[in-house]
Amino acid sequence: MSKKETYVADIALLLEGTYPYVRGGVSSWVHQIISGLPELKFAVIFIGGEPEMYDKAQYQFPPNVTHFETHFLLDSKRYPTKSRRGNKKAFDEIGELHEQMRDQNAMPVETMMRAFKQLGAKNGVSHEDFLYSEASWDYITEQYRSRCTEPSFVDYFWAIRTMHAPLFVLTEIAKTLPKVKALHAISTGYAGLLGAMLRLQRGTPFILTEHGIYTKERKIDLAQATWIRDYNDDVSNTLHDEMGYIRGLWIKFFEQIGRMAYAQAAPIVSLYEGNRLRQIADGAPAEKTKVITNGINLPRYEKVLQVRKEGIPPVLGLVGRVVPIKDIKTFIRAMRALLDKLPEAEGWIVGPEDEDEDYVEECKELVRSLGLEGKVKFLGFQNVADILPQLGLMVLTSISEALPLVLLEAFASGLPCVATDVGSCRELIEGSGEDDRALGAAGRVVAIADPEATADAAYALLSDGAEWRAAQQAGLQRVKRYYDDQMMFAAYRQLYVDTLQTDSAPEAASGGR
Amino acid sequence: MAGIGFEIRKILERDSYWDVLKAYGYAGLVSGGPWVLSILGVMAIGVLAVVLGVAQTHVNAFQICVTYLMALSLIWTGGMQLMFTRFVADQAYAKAQADVLPNLMGVLLLTMAGGFLWSVPVVALMFSGSLLLRLLLIANFVVLSGLWLALIFLSGMKAYRRIVRTLATGYLLAILIALAFSRWQLEGLLTGVLIGHSYLLFAFLRHIIREYPGQTFLRFDFLERRKSFYSLFAVGTLYYLGVWVDKFIFWFVPYTSEPVIGPLRASIIYDLPIFLAYLFILPGMAVFLVRMEADFAEQYERFYRAVREGDTLMHIEYRRDQMVYTARQGIYEIFKVQGLTVVLCLLWGRDLLAAVGISPLYIYLFYIDVVAVSVQVLLMAILNVLFYLDARREVLVITLSFFLSNLVLTSATLFLGAETFGYGFAVSVTFSAFLGLFMLSQKFNRLEYETFMLQQ
Repeated sequence: MSKKETYVADIALLLEGTYPYVRGGVSSWVHQIISGLPELKFAVIFIGGEPEMYDKAQYQFPPNVTHFETHFLLDSKRYPTKSRRGNKKAFDEIGELHEQMRDQNAMPVETMMRAFKQLGAKNGVSHEDFLYSEASWDYITEQYRSRCTEPSFVDYFWAIRTMHAPLFVLTEIAKTLPKVKALHAISTGYAGLLGAMLRLQRGTPFILTEHGIYTKERKIDLAQATWIRDYNDDVSNTLHDEMGYIRGLWIKFFEQIGRMAYAQAAPIVSLYEGNRLRQIADGAPAEKTKVITNGINLPRYEKVLQVRKEGIPPVLGLVGRVVPIKDIKTFIRAMRALLDKLPEAEGWIVGPEDEDEDYVEECKELVRSLGLEGKVKFLGFQNVADILPQLGLMVLTSISEALPLVLLEAFASGLPCVATDVGSCRELIEGSGEDDRALGAAGRVVAIADPEATADAAYALLSDGAEWRAAQQAGLQRVKRYYDDQMMFAAYRQLYVDTLQTDSAPEAASGGR
Repeated sequence: MAGIGFEIRKILERDSYWDVLKAYGYAGLVSGGPWVLSILGVMAIGVLAVVLGVAQTHVNAFQICVTYLMALSLIWTGGMQLMFTRFVADQAYAKAQADVLPNLMGVLLLTMAGGFLWSVPVVALMFSGSLLLRLLLIANFVVLSGLWLALIFLSGMKAYRRIVRTLATGYLLAILIALAFSRWQLEGLLTGVLIGHSYLLFAFLRHIIREYPGQTFLRFDFLERRKSFYSLFAVGTLYYLGVWVDKFIFWFVPYTSEPVIGPLRASIIYDLPIFLAYLFILPGMAVFLVRMEADFAEQYERFYRAVREGDTLMHIEYRRDQMVYTARQGIYEIFKVQGLTVVLCLLWGRDLLAAVGISPLYIYLFYIDVVAVSVQVLLMAILNVLFYLDARREVLVITLSFFLSNLVLTSATLFLGAETFGYGFAVSVTFSAFLGLFMLSQKFNRLEYETFMLQQ
């Protein structure tokens, strides 16, 4: 076709709540990929929650970012609140769709296409119709009557509203997005759904890479979410309804949109074998899945290794955002336990503190109440390369991880690690295949939320020079052999080239059972 | 439900006919009190002044002056009354009580000073009497304008008993001073009501200032509302225009009226029966107060609590049904009680007119006026429910229809002849009440939908 020049980019990266506004593993990975593949042009499509949640961009775009859009899912346009009838028929069709979502694992493509066509359309369910129409009200109340087991109608009502409002924003994005040759979502969720929408509407090839497992992380968030009211009266509470209806509704919603993304995406990439299996369990067709592991820029960390002084500094570093999922509190408690045996030890928490200020305050309060002032330090966001040579151990207490780059960075700069048994941490520390395992352990793996075990592992490594050095060598070997970023770039280069070549007509992926 | 509703409830719970009668009598006094006391007060001054030897022409002029002053001050302040009541309610909801008093001062300053500014040239140009008379007219108008605002504010505070007590004292004072000054004829009588009304204004203000905390003295926040609040202003003005427009028509059409003083005219045939009829709204007003302030307000509160505090949809609907039921019961009871009043007036109306010394020629007009003012009580009840539901658009439509239909139909009766007099007002108020019922029913049917889907 002669319209080649109208493409704004080769790859549109669909990013939910990360790059370029929020620092973290996924964001630095995205930056790495864009910088590592300078011959491709990228469009960055950022999808956030509310505008207030994000400050200015945290990354400077490499020159091959040719297009950038920012959208907010909860920045609902102010429509005049006016009563309206709404399209009864369109709501009936949405009802059918919901029925199918409940019944089946994978949805027929035609149903999905019809649903996306309805959304936001004038003759379907417009955003205003969804918000204000009688048809919408009738449908919501009917659903509540026949399904909701919880007392509060107002909670149900707002759950339904906040759950669906973003879909209308997504249809807007899909409508206005300039042409790109391929789509690449870095999570399922709303970004993945946008990918599925665009794939169905335009036939643009759609690649999905998952670092963490979005649905699982949402489940953790939702289990802790205090904005959902709990109705736990002792009379009606039985064992199986520990989770309220509305919490369950949210989880089912994310599972379902995750499945929609899996049905449309090809290939579906994960960072390690464990997550690949999880994707399959969550509905991803096995033949479309593949693993491309993360890699880091080795020469850069070689320099860091050279700066490292002789001896083992008694300093434990936790590099990551100060948020509940990193379980900073377990790290702090472990420091308390460790100090009894190793009084000269220190714990440094290195990472941005602006995401969850309440949690940051709780952590600092915990430090005070355990009498750890001066021993546990919050250093804020730092250049990791400056910090690494001063540490004696990298510690990761997360309750959920995918493939944490900090572990690779630690290995490459000659630093053993203690990490919880989450994501690919065990593979990273102990090795996955036979050859890999033969390299030895690059540290120790501990159970989640176990400060004692964490302290013991840290003590063992810090107090035994021989084990520490063996772990250092294992880490250095492993990262060089398996986690070189040049390998990752090559894999993605190949993947993009393959995708851009397959002239993906909208044969509309067979739904994928 | 605090205040009057609670007290009435307590009396009612004693459960004897005598107590029920007492409760409703009390409620009637409290709710219809201002109306009735002012009519009775002015009538008493007139009757006693004649006894004391004031010329009948002066007494007539006095009564007409007071009637005009009341009509014009009500129309002048009607919009502000509603707008300000809403402002106060919002402040109370937002727990910003400290802003209420300075804003009351603001609204008083605005209406009183504004009223002064426009009444001075009007009185100066249109009246040729003594300077004292003209000053008295202006002063009375300004004081009344302030008084209505203070009164509606106290009603909002549900200080009904104090209102009635103070009103009784105030009108007693007005009567005494008017009679003491009766040798100065019209000027003396007007001084009497001026002092009576001034006493009321200051007594009310004293009470308000003592009850409400406030740091600043003067604020005008009530004007900085979103535009929709001006619809309340329109509603208040239209309602009083609707109530008075038929009277004004009769006053200013030459063949039904005659000049009394300056530009002020009166309609002998029309005025007496209708003001007499207004004395018969007391039973309906009593029911109105009990049903609306006690029962409906409580059900309304329960409905919104169910919505806010997360009840099931079924329970919210049950609460809606209960609210509809109390509203329907209230309206039905007003209908019954006023119906009975109408029947009694039909039976004894002739004797009544004879007893007060009014020509039996007025009887048919009196009959239709009793019906009309009875329906007006119904209309007020319906508007009140709609106010609770914040149905500003509906209320605007109803008051507009009331004003326009009264204007058109009353004018029509002037062409149709004397036997149709009064029907204009009666048909207009009935039509508006039915329109109100229809809109109220619509509103109730869509209440949950509107409450959830159309909130701002």
